[in-house]
Amino acid sequence: MNPLRRFLRAPEAIAGAIILVALFAIALSASLFFPGDPQAIAGPALLPPFQDWSLPLGTDRLGRDVLAELFHGARTSLVVGLAAAAAAIAVGAIVGTLAGFTGGLVDEVLMRITDAFQTVPSFLLALAFVSVVGPSLGVVVAAIALGAWTGPARVARAEVLSIRERDFVAGARVIGMHPLEIAFREVLPNALPPVLALSSVIVAAAILTEAALSFLGLGDPNRMTWGGMIAEGRAVLRAAPFLSIIPGVALVLTVLGVYLAGEGVVETTAVRRSLS
Amino acid sequence: MSRPLLAVSGLTKRYRRGGKSIAAVDDVSFDIEPGETLALAGPSGSGKSTIARLLLRLIESDAGRIEFEGGDFLSLSGAALRARRARLQMVFQDPLAAFNPRATVARVLDDPLRIHGIATRSERPRRIAALLDRVGLSADLAGRAIHEISGGQRQRIAIARAIATKPSLIVLDEAVSALDVSVRRQILQLLLDLQREERIAYLFISHDLGVISAIAHRVVILDAGRVAESGNARAVIGAPQSTIGKALVTAAPKLNRTSTQGAADRQ
Ligand SMILES: Nc1ncnc2c1ncn2[C@@H]1O[C@H](COP(=O)(O)OP(=O)(O)OP(=O)(O)O)[C@@H](O)[C@H]1O
Ligand SMILES: [Mg+2]
Repeated sequence: MNPLRRFLRAPEAIAGAIILVALFAIALSASLFFPGDPQAIAGPALLPPFQDWSLPLGTDRLGRDVLAELFHGARTSLVVGLAAAAAAIAVGAIVGTLAGFTGGLVDEVLMRITDAFQTVPSFLLALAFVSVVGPSLGVVVAAIALGAWTGPARVARAEVLSIRERDFVAGARVIGMHPLEIAFREVLPNALPPVLALSSVIVAAAILTEAALSFLGLGDPNRMTWGGMIAEGRAVLRAAPFLSIIPGVALVLTVLGVYLAGEGVVETTAVRRSLS
Repeated sequence: MSRPLLAVSGLTKRYRRGGKSIAAVDDVSFDIEPGETLALAGPSGSGKSTIARLLLRLIESDAGRIEFEGGDFLSLSGAALRARRARLQMVFQDPLAAFNPRATVARVLDDPLRIHGIATRSERPRRIAALLDRVGLSADLAGRAIHEISGGQRQRIAIARAIATKPSLIVLDEAVSALDVSVRRQILQLLLDLQREERIAYLFISHDLGVISAIAHRVVILDAGRVAESGNARAVIGAPQSTIGKALVTAAPKLNRTSTQGAADRQ
């Protein structure tokens, strides 16, 4: 059976895929449906949802359109989640490959650094980094990646350790290939599948971390974020609970969707076998 | 007396197993002349592959000297070693494992040409086609993935890759053992043709005495990492002196004399 058919037979994978597709559609269409500044005032403050069809999800404390905020927030979540995961996987794969392929002292040093990063809770690391450098989209991405690259590094190293003993690596040495070319062109691409299998978990965690940072006021102040929306709504939690509930539900659905779809892909492409 | 192409002396490699060290290769010496085929035979675990890996500098020896083309091969390192590798190539037993599973035929042949600056980027496709032709394959194969061709074709690709850099010596570790009989005969013929036309020397590792007497001029028989006996391939296989040599000959399926005209005859 081909992987696509197998994927389509798993209901949770389909649910995840539908959520992801919806999320991408929302993020991509944000400036189409809501071309203006989502932080602009659109109507009376604290309008409840489903009252005014030009503002279907109502307005927040400052009279901003909640639906517009939600759409633009989806964009931030997705951008930060994907960028942070990509950065974490790239850094992890490079560090893991260098450590595993070079061995010896280089391996020792790189793995002690990995240990050090792994000991610090990744959210504290992100918090400290953003507090020191200052909140902007790039810094938030870097901060999240900082706590997420160690998993990919370990998996990549383990995979490289077994690949480097294979004949084709000896063959590359025999034709005189430079060790760096062997590491990054011959070994690394073959070590990637189990590393990429981690991506759904990393993306999901990155989206949550971004939300938590924004909730604490450490997100990019110029971007709409779901975490920021929840924090905003907290002030009027009793009078207008929907202001916290709507972005909260969006966040949970997104994380769930990313996770389910990612697991579905991993399951059906059977890269799991190389994960122990 | 001319100097040998390869002179190995006192080569030793120890492995630690369960606390004590065991010599996988123990004080082994032999020479290979230009254009000659030297066979390395011996039971499983006698150190044949270890010698191949030592010669190719895939692992480092504990003692001994390797002189290749008149220079100390063991003292080379880094860029000097990589450059020298053009002259000393290897063909592995399992041609599927010997190539990057993601590679195409073209890339596998392009790499040595690029690395050793043998042809410019624009010349290389033509050189690749010529190499494919040299090993009896169609140039159309270049675009195929390595896993999309047959085992025999793959071993021809391995040979094409080995001769791409115009080596003077190719180490073949059980290079025909995984092939079925008819394909094996064709590959052996290809090796003999290449040797005749380009004067390439082979270190031919095999446990098949029939194949050895068909292709090799001389043979070295190993036992537990040591040289048990060596000499003219037909003479040694016809009348082995060492116990291990006798055991190998007895264990071998009967040697078909007609299909294995000794390489010694070709000299
Ligand atoms: N990396 C290693 N670590 C420990 N021992 C090893 C290692 N490589 C080889 N040996 C041992 O060295 C000896 C020689 O092994 P080698 O692979 O050279 O044998 P071989 O003659 O090629 O055998 P075969 O005909 O089965 O291929 C064996 O006893 C083997 O167990
Ligand atoms: Mg062997």
